Parts: sequence; C-alpha cells; structure tokens
Amino acid sequence: MAVKTIVIYPDPILKAACAPVDRIDPDVLQLLEDLVDTMLAGPGSVGVAAPQIGVPLRVCVVDVSKNRHGKENNHGRLLMVNPEIVGSSGSAVMREGCMSVPDYTGDVERATEVTLRFSEPDGTQREFCATGFEAIAIQHEMDHLDGLLFLDRITSLKTGLFRRKSYK
Amino acid sequence: MNDCRKAGLAHFAVTIIGKDRPGIVADTSQVLYSLGCNVEDSSCTMLGGEFAMILIVSHEKPFSKKRLETEFAAKDMGNGLSAFIRSLKDDEVCYREPEGELCLVSVYGSDKPGIVYRITRELADRGVNITDLNTKLIGSPAEPVYVLMLEAALPQGMTVEGAKQLLENLKKELSVEISVRLITPVSL
Repeated sequence: MAVKTIVIYPDPILKAACAPVDRIDPDVLQLLEDLVDTMLAGPGSVGVAAPQIGVPLRVCVVDVSKNRHGKENNHGRLLMVNPEIVGSSGSAVMREGCMSVPDYTGDVERATEVTLRFSEPDGTQREFCATGFEAIAIQHEMDHLDGLLFLDRITSLKTGLFRRKSYK
Repeated sequence: MNDCRKAGLAHFAVTIIGKDRPGIVADTSQVLYSLGCNVEDSSCTMLGGEFAMILIVSHEKPFSKKRLETEFAAKDMGNGLSAFIRSLKDDEVCYREPEGELCLVSVYGSDKPGIVYRITRELADRGVNITDLNTKLIGSPAEPVYVLMLEAALPQGMTVEGAKQLLENLKKELSVEISVRLITPVSL
C-alpha cells in the first residue's frame, strides 16, 4: 500500500511527454500498484497517470466501475502500460476536473468511443473498445502521458453559446 | 486559492463597464498592474454593445480603496468607462465549493416580462444557489425570443429530477421550454 502525493501543476513533469516502458519489471509493477492505491485514496477518483505521482512513464490506471457515470458500462480496473488509442469516434462534452489542477473545472469535448491497445501487467497485449464515461476517463489519463492537461482542451467559455451574434 | 495565503491582503471588487472597443481589458489591467494589484478572480463579457468587467483584486495591506479610485479617475479610463470599487471584508473573500449537484437550467420561449423573475424566485425559495447566469434576447424583432441559461448548485438532497419538478409548472405559466441537466464536474 503506497498512496503517493499527487503532483500539482505547475510542476513541469505534468507538461512533459512520458517515455514508453521498455520492459515490465518489478519497478513498473510497483508503479502500477502505487497508481491504484493513489486512485483509491483520492475522493471519487477514477484514474491516475504515472506523471501525476512524479514518474514520467507511459503508465496509467482507470477504474470507473464505482462512479455513477461508469458503473453500468466499464471494463473494471484497467492497469495500462504503453496505452495507445488506435481508433475513436463520437463526441461528448463533459465538465472535467483534475487532481493535478485543483479548484478549476472546464467543459471538454472528447470521443465517446475509443479503441484502446495496451500491455497488461503480465505483458499480455489487450485491445478493446471503451465507450461512454470510461472512454472519457481513459482519454483524460492518457493525455497526461503526452503532457496535456484538461486546460489544454477546454473548448469554450461557459458563455460560448451567446458568442455568435455580432453587434453593430 | 488557499485561504491562509489571503491573510495580509486587502481585497476589492472592481466593476468596469463601458462602450465596447479593443483595449478595455488592457487599460484596466494596466492600472491594476501599475498599482501592484493582483487580479484573483474575474469575469468579463460583452453585454449588448457594452463590455463589462467584474474583478476581485488584492493588494498587500495597507492599501486603500481611495487609492484605486484615484488611479482609475486619473487615468480617466478615457473613453466613457465607468469604474466602481468596493472593499471586501475578509469573510467575503473565501470561496466555498457548492456542496450539492450542479445543474444547468435552460429556459427559452417567446419574450415576455417576468421570465427571469419567476424562474429565479422559484429556485431561490427552495435554496437553489445560482452560480452563473446569462440571458439574451434573440429572434426577429417581430417575434423576439428570450433565452436564459443558468448554472446552479442544488441544496443537499435535491436531485436534478427534483429541480425539474420544481420548474414544471412554470413551463405552462410562462409558455417557455425549460430543461434541467446535470453538469456536476467529474473528478478525473
């Protein structure tokens, strides 16, 4: 059990692209365990990416099964090494918050279906399609592996609806 | 912002409004920057042909409201901008995260007096706390349509369904469409 401290922006690790994992060794397994422990310790957290606990590797965990948006539709606890999105479709806007950017939320548009490929902790390659909230959570965590925060993806100010009319 | 970091700071609410043109934000923030003020929170938008700014600014104590007023007056803010400044007490500065569900209420229909009043009174009487609100008159001059969008924190125990029920009767009374949807942020 190792709950790690969540790294908060402006720590530069959050804006750096993470390196792929070459080999799933005991350190990587320990990292996955720490990520899960940290996720379970965060109130309402549905995922944590390695850079959020200070490790710049392409590893993240997602579990939306306890969340009201995800409990009906999920693949359980996902421990992902070198995850890739190989296909995506649909779009939905959800107001997101992030443990690494406290006290701020914003509307982010994301795909509602993603085809995901990654290595399991035992090295098995897995590929499947995630939909709905699980797909959104996966995209949010995977963004961390590329140094992207939801702040980079906010699509509009809250009042965007009214911005089209021009005044003479 | 953490409350302990606000100790030793004087806070002011600054409201600036004037005919829209490029540079209003730059002119205003230049005055604040030159005085050593920090803009902590702000919301600025175009309303009609006006540009309106509301800012919460801070400055290390001691710092007087007079100083701000003098500076804005001296700069004249030229071009018809008016500035209003209010000192904030320490207990006004703290931000309290809403506890209940956050929802978006959209209301639209043929324009008529009382839409904003009736909707917001109903919400207020049940302890629903509006956190954001926009209204706009759209449509043609012959058939003006009123649009109201608001975000509100529901009191503990009230569901989105409950909020819908609360506003149901007003649909008929005001002949407007009303929808309520959950927008409580997801923590990722």
